[in-house]
Amino acid sequence: MTEEIGINQLKRRDFLRAGLVFGAGAAGLAAGYAAVPDAFARAVYAAKTNGVANDHVLVMIQLAGGNDGLRTVIPLQDPKLHDLRPKLADMSVGQALPISGDFGLNQNLKGVKSLWDQGKVAIVEGVGYPNPTFSHFESIRIWETGDPTRRQVDGWLGRTLAQAYDSFGHPLTGCACGTTDVPGALRDLQATLTVINNQKQFGFSGGSEVEAAVGALYKGTPGIYGALFDTAIATARETIGTLKSSDAAYQPMAQYSDAAKLVYSSKNQLAAALQLAAELITTGTGVKLLHVTLGGFDTHYTELNRHDDLMGYLDQAVSAFYQDLSAHGVADKVLIATWSEFGRRPKENASGGTDHGAAAPVLLIGNPVKGGLYGQAPSLTDLDPTGNLKFAVDFRSIYQEILGGHLGADPKEILGDSFAKLGVLKSPVAAFG
Amino acid sequence: MSTAERLPQRPAVSRRAVLGAAVVGGAGVAAARLWGGAALDRLAPARAGQANLAGRGDWNSPLGGESAQVAQLLRRATFGAGPAELEKALSDGFSKTVDRLIETKYAPPPAFGGDAAGRLNVGQLQQWWVTHMLTSPTPFAERMTLFWHGHFTSDFRKVGLQTPFIYWQNLTWRDMALGDLRTMLKRVTTDPAMLRYLDLATSTGASPNENYSRELMELFTMGPGNYTEDDVRAAAKGLAGWVEPRPAAITPDQPVAGTFAPQRAYKGAAFKYLGKTAQWNTDSVLDQILAQTATAPFVVTKVLQNFVMPAPSKDYVNRLAAGFKSSKYDVKTLMRDVFKSPEFVSATAYRSLVKSPTEFMVHALRALGAQSAAQVRLALAAAPNLGQVLFDPPDVGGWPNNEAWISSNTVVGRVNFVSSLLDSVKAALPSAKDAHRQHLDGVLSPQTAAALNQATDDHNRWLLVLASPEFQLK
Repeated sequence: MTEEIGINQLKRRDFLRAGLVFGAGAAGLAAGYAAVPDAFARAVYAAKTNGVANDHVLVMIQLAGGNDGLRTVIPLQDPKLHDLRPKLADMSVGQALPISGDFGLNQNLKGVKSLWDQGKVAIVEGVGYPNPTFSHFESIRIWETGDPTRRQVDGWLGRTLAQAYDSFGHPLTGCACGTTDVPGALRDLQATLTVINNQKQFGFSGGSEVEAAVGALYKGTPGIYGALFDTAIATARETIGTLKSSDAAYQPMAQYSDAAKLVYSSKNQLAAALQLAAELITTGTGVKLLHVTLGGFDTHYTELNRHDDLMGYLDQAVSAFYQDLSAHGVADKVLIATWSEFGRRPKENASGGTDHGAAAPVLLIGNPVKGGLYGQAPSLTDLDPTGNLKFAVDFRSIYQEILGGHLGADPKEILGDSFAKLGVLKSPVAAFG
Repeated sequence: MSTAERLPQRPAVSRRAVLGAAVVGGAGVAAARLWGGAALDRLAPARAGQANLAGRGDWNSPLGGESAQVAQLLRRATFGAGPAELEKALSDGFSKTVDRLIETKYAPPPAFGGDAAGRLNVGQLQQWWVTHMLTSPTPFAERMTLFWHGHFTSDFRKVGLQTPFIYWQNLTWRDMALGDLRTMLKRVTTDPAMLRYLDLATSTGASPNENYSRELMELFTMGPGNYTEDDVRAAAKGLAGWVEPRPAAITPDQPVAGTFAPQRAYKGAAFKYLGKTAQWNTDSVLDQILAQTATAPFVVTKVLQNFVMPAPSKDYVNRLAAGFKSSKYDVKTLMRDVFKSPEFVSATAYRSLVKSPTEFMVHALRALGAQSAAQVRLALAAAPNLGQVLFDPPDVGGWPNNEAWISSNTVVGRVNFVSSLLDSVKAALPSAKDAHRQHLDGVLSPQTAAALNQATDDHNRWLLVLASPEFQLK
């Protein structure tokens, strides 16, 4: 069986193949893979195809529950907004941070506004897909799989991992931070990935004997979950060691805080999750595709304060993350993108909130971005038959941009189709153009 | 999204090989049958020498034998059994045990209360419930309450702790757990915590809030694709009018339902809902949902994925759904049909379900006879890292199941819980001599068998049994 190679041998093989080409150096060669804690070198080893052999990193931030686009990027001049939202509109408009004559950011997105002023934020307006579903779970699945027809079961990032990266030998290539389960976007049965809820607790508390015993137990495990179990343990053991050295090496260069006012979701540790992401990125672990989640956006009631709190929370976490990356000199490599299953209904309800909607803006943040407004803000007068905003940009256009322009993967192979180009990146990977 | 769509496939062999996993050679040696006399030996015969356990490259289902059926029943319908419970169930036999579990009236938990003002402490509430899971003489009721807590879910964050609402919900769910679905849906709809969690309490007929209406159909009864957006809006109109109860004095241990405020209800003309035009109200909306062909199969599928197998066949679902519907949606009838169905003891069902973190931890505590407050707190402390915090589901869909419980984070968390638990029971560790038979049916992988053969003391044997892949499954 030619494929039967241990983890170390595989790394070594990839190292020899890729390392020479990309010049990791003779010292690295002699010492082997583990002795080259350089983000660029690690990224090279993780690449399975030549196109993705760059050192770019993607961080997807899920705004779970359906983020209200009209309170994120606020139309300032449209009188219709007040008619639709007598309780919600005026405060939003009055306090918005203008980014153009017609639009302003939520007043709590102060850090994002300052990045916007530096040309580091691209806002794609009116993002959605045809025949929208208003079910959280169906729409989350559509965004996660990149397939509005709902046939695809693997996540778009999971497929990317499986097709373009060597995630078996490099389980940190795809990593979910601040959660306990594998996010759907990263899921693929042929990809290995890491889930780390909290780096301080990620390790075998019983010590190396327990770790060794468990490592011996989870091999060739029978049953339908056998491979999942064995992969999870092998991945954890591989990653724990890496994380230990990362933890020791990492010096945070920004103030992260989860002490901001919390809303009703258990998943609100975005700042901690992004700090872990920063640690993994800045210490050269070879992470490429990161996923974090901020919950609580299902604002059916008393939305005004709740949504503002969430915006402030997002803003603090992202600002600290960007500052940290920047101070470590790696901000040029990292693209941050938000996603949410849908926006919210333009018309408010009796509870001072909004029900499930459709099109909404997506934020792309970071040095790789060419700042500005893209897409088309939906009309408040020309709503669809369900009273929702019509989309102008297929969400897969953004995926295509990320995959082709930032990561250098083949978007068509992963998404199964081509979509309108947006041009949101400053210097997209050459092949993507 | 359903588990059926995500049923893990055995990946190509290259994946395992690349991970450095040993390729399993041969099927191993079947265990010799050396009967030892006690009931346990009917479950999994003791072997002549403990140091000679043999595993198999596959796990051959032992469910052809009644004793293994009983053990599986107790793993799935309760939180695993201690020696005395197992002994009793084995001597009663499978069928009688099913009847006993289902027909025994639940033992109410001790009053929880809260502070003088009726405020709750969620940590104490979790401790109260897990303790009752551990010690209740009717653990099936606790298992069903946990199931409904994940199905008709609410979280303390949105519901709040200033009133006893989230505690009341737990009492109500336990009380209705084996009732009929129609009565359950009415109690769910008017439950104060639910009124808050899905916003029905602030909805009005004039300006309906769709949250409860949508999730009632999508998550509680019918599943997506069986109603339109117009139906969501229609039901929202029909359901509006409920408000939170405002009793003159709150008695913490006596749940009160929400009240109906007619002035807040819909007052316009008749409207169409699920194909029929009428003056819809809460009762008729619930009746209309139960009249839909999608409802029984949807609920039955969720039950089967929790109690039998991750991907039940259509025929199986439809057969049980027909019985459920013709029993007027009697949950007792359904659960009896589920446990007594041939599929429940089929080889396909064996080790096809992953224990939820709560099931895993409560089973481990029971296995070690660990019931102290400090030991329950170990479980509560481990819960967030394993992905299941009681009264705090990740979203309105409750908790995912089966393969979603397995990640690099959660497997380490499970092993660490076992380590901390074993440390805490150090002096009082029960003998591990029979642990692999009592808790793993004596059906072991070659790796588990080999590790147990090499283990030199009870601490290590328990560690291996409770941290094994076999123990993570039910």
